[in-house]
Amino acid sequence: MSAAAGTRIAWAVVLGLVLYAGVPYALAGNLYLMSMIVAALTIGGIALAWALLGNLGGLVSFGHAAFFGVGAYASALLVMKSGWPIAFAVVAGGVVAALSAVLVLPALRLRGPYFALAVLAYAHIFRIVATEWKGLTNGAGGLSNIPRFPVVAGYDFASKTGGYWIALSLVLAFVLVYWRVRESHYGTALRAMLHSEEATRAVGVNSTLLKAMMLFLSAFMTGVMGAFNAHYINFLEPDYAFSGLWTMLPIVAAIFGGYRTLFGPIVGAVVVYLVDQLVFKAVMPIGHQIVLGALLAAMILFSPGGLLPLLTRRPGRAQHA
Amino acid sequence: MTELVLGALWSGVLTGSSYALIALGLALVFGTMKVINLAHGDLVLLAAYVAYTCESALGVNPLLAIPVAIVVVCAAAVVTYALVSRIRRDRELNSLLLTYGIAVMLTNGALLLWKADIRSTKSPWLQDAIVFGPFYSMRSELLFFLVSIILMAGLWWWLTRTWAGRAVRAVSSNRDAARLMGIDPQRVELASFVVAGLLAAFAGVAVFSFGVIQPALGTSLTVKAFVITVLAGMGSVPGVLVGALLLGVTESLTTTFASSALQELAGMVLFLLVLFVLPNGLFGARRVGT
Repeated sequence: MSAAAGTRIAWAVVLGLVLYAGVPYALAGNLYLMSMIVAALTIGGIALAWALLGNLGGLVSFGHAAFFGVGAYASALLVMKSGWPIAFAVVAGGVVAALSAVLVLPALRLRGPYFALAVLAYAHIFRIVATEWKGLTNGAGGLSNIPRFPVVAGYDFASKTGGYWIALSLVLAFVLVYWRVRESHYGTALRAMLHSEEATRAVGVNSTLLKAMMLFLSAFMTGVMGAFNAHYINFLEPDYAFSGLWTMLPIVAAIFGGYRTLFGPIVGAVVVYLVDQLVFKAVMPIGHQIVLGALLAAMILFSPGGLLPLLTRRPGRAQHA
Repeated sequence: MTELVLGALWSGVLTGSSYALIALGLALVFGTMKVINLAHGDLVLLAAYVAYTCESALGVNPLLAIPVAIVVVCAAAVVTYALVSRIRRDRELNSLLLTYGIAVMLTNGALLLWKADIRSTKSPWLQDAIVFGPFYSMRSELLFFLVSIILMAGLWWWLTRTWAGRAVRAVSSNRDAARLMGIDPQRVELASFVVAGLLAAFAGVAVFSFGVIQPALGTSLTVKAFVITVLAGMGSVPGVLVGALLLGVTESLTTTFASSALQELAGMVLFLLVLFVLPNGLFGARRVGT
């Protein structure tokens, strides 16, 4: 093992200890801040899924709230109506969200901006269906008393720290999956596809299939975050589960952090969400997201690659596209 | 029964004419710049709130707010253009994200200035019923139907008979060739944004004078305008008109025979059907590529 790899592992261990033990220990007394961080991680997970679709699939989605909501409802209903264990139901929530993405497949035939808007329209459809299909979802009344995470080995995972550990583990697992996909031969094919879709097709890569797979993976991750959130806050209603915020916040977070990096979307989510909630919401109780819209516009104009690449750019080093 | 159907068709045509104004603006900008302006619905909403402010603060008829709305919305459209035109890299993707950011700012700006409450006009004159047999409508609906027809005729005249309008069509069909013919594409893009803003200003005052408005409406109008352009097929102006009427009629038939809650869903189902069956739209040239 090289010295560089050893240093890397040492850093990973330190970071892991800080994240899993340090943060909960330091914030144990501050339940409010802890719940903010859990929410930020939830958004970070969606932001990562959104960035995966954008970075690897070359597709911009304005409708990830649809997958979030579908995952949340699927998991909550499987536990409440079919008595599934929560752990299975959360994964199933992701699977159902990925299945719901099948409906979006015809939109893959549309190029660029059309896909983005078609997904926005889908998010509208899902919200209306969840509101009107009262027999299944209890309509606008919502679902309350969704079962919480259970006590495992004497530890109550329904606590704030428990929720934090679950959210953190999910997000880190997503990072691992994202990294594996990016480094696999799928990742190579996807990169080639983004440079020239025609050329990639000519050498026998099925680009539509690849895009569809990225869409399913992204929808699955988003659905799992939705399912986690449903059991974490124990309540769902269509306007909450399918709220445009679940689309907007991850987009701002991913662009702010850098959507072509692995950790950018998550760092972006934590920074953007905490600053928005703790600073701007205090100043402007409603309409404070105007700042996030301005932030998104400013990032696109001045640093579309995000903040993380901007900070880590070393002077004198050659820039690759 | 026939009366109900006729009434619903009529009301769908009236709403559809305003939808057409909104969708034409979106299509015009997409034509010249290949940019979908996700803030377009919020520009319409801005005009609606200008009309609301004029009525509630100054007590004037919303119709008289149209000039103010034009100034405000065209200014906002010019700012949007100025920002979008600064994008150099990855224009297709970045312009979507940029206009999405602008849309978020406008929606939340509306929340800050006008609160989340639902607003509608207080003018009884605008809301008076005008009835011809089975064709029931409010005066405002009828007025804006006529205004829409005049505006669309004007747009058609502009696009086919004037130098600037022809330049817009030239840039839409082939930017490089248009440049070689001595057309400045940037001026044409600006013109398309201003005309889109003008149409949005009328549509916004129309939406306020016969409907209800709230900050979240902007996104829903953007989605509707997009659905119409998909129905129409890209780059087809008559297609936009037919698509808008189709959406308006579908919505009003659903309201009459099912429930108003399903109204938006019906439009979306129509959209899905077209997407699955006719991905090029009803009138589109073959544009769907790989």
